[in-house]
Formats: sequence, C-alpha cells, structure tokens
Amino acid sequence: MDLPLISTGSKLKRIVDALAVAVVLAAMVAAARATGLDLSGAEPKLLPPEQAFRFSARALDSKTLEGRFDVVDGYYLYRDKLHFVLQAAPPALEKTELPAGQSKHDEFFGDVEIYRGAVTIKLPIAGGSPGQSLVLVADSQGCADVGVCYPPTRQRVRLTVPQAGAGSGPSVAASPPRKGLFD
Amino acid sequence: MLAVVKRSARRRWWLAIALAGVAALATGVYVARGVWSPTGVADSAALLDVALPDAEGKEQRLDQWRGKVLIVNFWATWCAPCREEMREFIRFQHADGAKGLQFVGIAVDQADNVRQYAKEIELNYPALIGGLGAMQLSQAMGNELMALPFTVVVSRDGKIVHRQLGPLKQTQLEQIVGKLL
Repeated sequence: MDLPLISTGSKLKRIVDALAVAVVLAAMVAAARATGLDLSGAEPKLLPPEQAFRFSARALDSKTLEGRFDVVDGYYLYRDKLHFVLQAAPPALEKTELPAGQSKHDEFFGDVEIYRGAVTIKLPIAGGSPGQSLVLVADSQGCADVGVCYPPTRQRVRLTVPQAGAGSGPSVAASPPRKGLFD
Repeated sequence: MLAVVKRSARRRWWLAIALAGVAALATGVYVARGVWSPTGVADSAALLDVALPDAEGKEQRLDQWRGKVLIVNFWATWCAPCREEMREFIRFQHADGAKGLQFVGIAVDQADNVRQYAKEIELNYPALIGGLGAMQLSQAMGNELMALPFTVVVSRDGKIVHRQLGPLKQTQLEQIVGKLL
C-alpha cells in the first residue's frame, strides 16, 4: 500500500519543484522591473549581415559568372548598393545589369528598389582563361524590417574559370565572416 | 506517510520562496548598480574617454557631459530607422535638455553628409563624426552585430544603464526620462 503514496509524493515533488522555479523566475523579473530601467525585450534577435544576406557565386562559362544573394525573411538589400568587382583583374567584370527589385517607398529616401528572397545577377567577364582562379568581391547593404540597418558588407567568393564546353562550375558560398568592416 | 510527504512539500515551498528572495535581491542590486551588462563589454569609462570631431571639426570629449543623463546614439545618414528615431530625440532634447538630458550622436558617416543632414532636420544636439571607425567603438560598447541604430544610456553617476540595438521607442525614452532625470 506504500507504493501509491510514494508515487503521489514524487508527483507532488515535481509540481513543487516546477512551482519553485516559476516563483524564482517571476521574482527575478519583478525585482528587475522594480529596481532599474526596464527597457528589456526591445532588442530584436538579429543575424549578422553575412548570414542575413548570404552570398554565393558560380562560373556559368568562361565569359559569365553568376552571383546570388539569399536574403532571409525579414531582411532586404538595397539594389543601388550592390557592387561587384574581381580582385587582381584581368579578367575584368563588364557592365552588370542588375535585375529589377521590388519598389519600396521610404519616408526618407523616397522610392527605392530592394531585393528580398533570392536574387541572381549575371556578371559578364572579359579576358578570363580556362582554369584561372578568380576572387569575386560583392559589396551590399541592407536592413532588417525590425528597424536595424547594416553598414556596407563585403563578401568574397573564389571561383575557377571553367574549361570551354565543360558547363558551369559548382556554386561556392562566400568565405567565412568578416573580422571588421571591409576586411 | 501522507503527512510526511506534505511536510516535505511545505519545506520545499519555504526553500523555494527563500531562494526566490535571494535571487530577487541579487537581481535588484545588479540592475540598480547598472552592472547588468553583457560580459566582455566595455564600461562607461571607455565611452566617456572618447574624443571625436563635431560637424564643424572641433574636437569634443564625451566626458564634458558627465553628470547628465547621457544618451549616446550611433547612427548614419544611410540608415532610415536612425533618421526616424532622431526626430524623437530632437523633441526630447528640446523638452528635457534643461533638466539634464543630453543626446549625443556619433555618426558612422562622412562629415559632409552629417553637416547637411543636421542642418536639414535642425538637429539640436551634438553630432560627432566617427566614420566607419565608430562601428568599432559601438562594438566595444556591446554592438556585436555592428548594425545601426545603437544606443547607450549613461546615468548621471556615470554608469551605463542600458544598451540597445534598434530604435528607442517613445515609451522607452519616457521611462529613461522618468527614472533617471
């Protein structure tokens, strides 16, 4: 007959333990509110820019690269802030046509074009030779909808110019995070 | 047997309440002393030691505003949310500046842009020019993502009482004014 009582005691113990944790947490919150500035909860959880605006690229053929931004939901990039350059040219990037973005009316900047989701950009190159290693540098600037903007961010991808007729090269993600602005 | 279990549960309750009291006291003391801040983040001394040129090129030290409720706001002209909250800052500076509230903007921007924008919005508090280097300062103050706007609130006794990435809302500003002035 002892068993059910032991079982009841164990259940009671769990309930009391759970209540104790709840009381401790509630008291901590109450104390924080009562004694200081309670401005907590206002700061949104945000991604670093290289994760919010993931950049990757591939060589489509010996004359064309393709850059791609995958913009996480809740973030956007300004179209007119995208810039690409090849390190140690030649080859050089030729004139890039950026795809149209979504229009956004900004109270301060007027009508601007932005990118959300995935955007791919064709990047024609001139003077590249098959097998050559290239570093594509992509500068971008964007914001989070919660009201935070990132400074211009630089991301780099190392690509190899494919052999003629070999098809496109593999998609390569931008190298790991920056250590500082424009590293 | 049941009575034993009940007594044990009662003891646990008292223990829980005592623990809650200790935790609440510790939290309260920490918050009140303004030491509730992320680890590895610089304190107010590092901020108040900073000297930066204003829009006219004259060097301004932040410690000249020691003794005031100092709200240091990192911003840029390219940051729309920054522009939006600055309108509120101007109103609060106008209303409570005489009582000891002092906003200071540190622009992650070029002097020309800042001068032009400050004139355009009739900025009524100092706008210091930090350039991109100001991002490193804001990072040292806790802005790990180096995004904008980022704001640090320093109490009259020189303690950092709040750090925030993202705009300060009107209700938050009212709280700051209500509690610290």
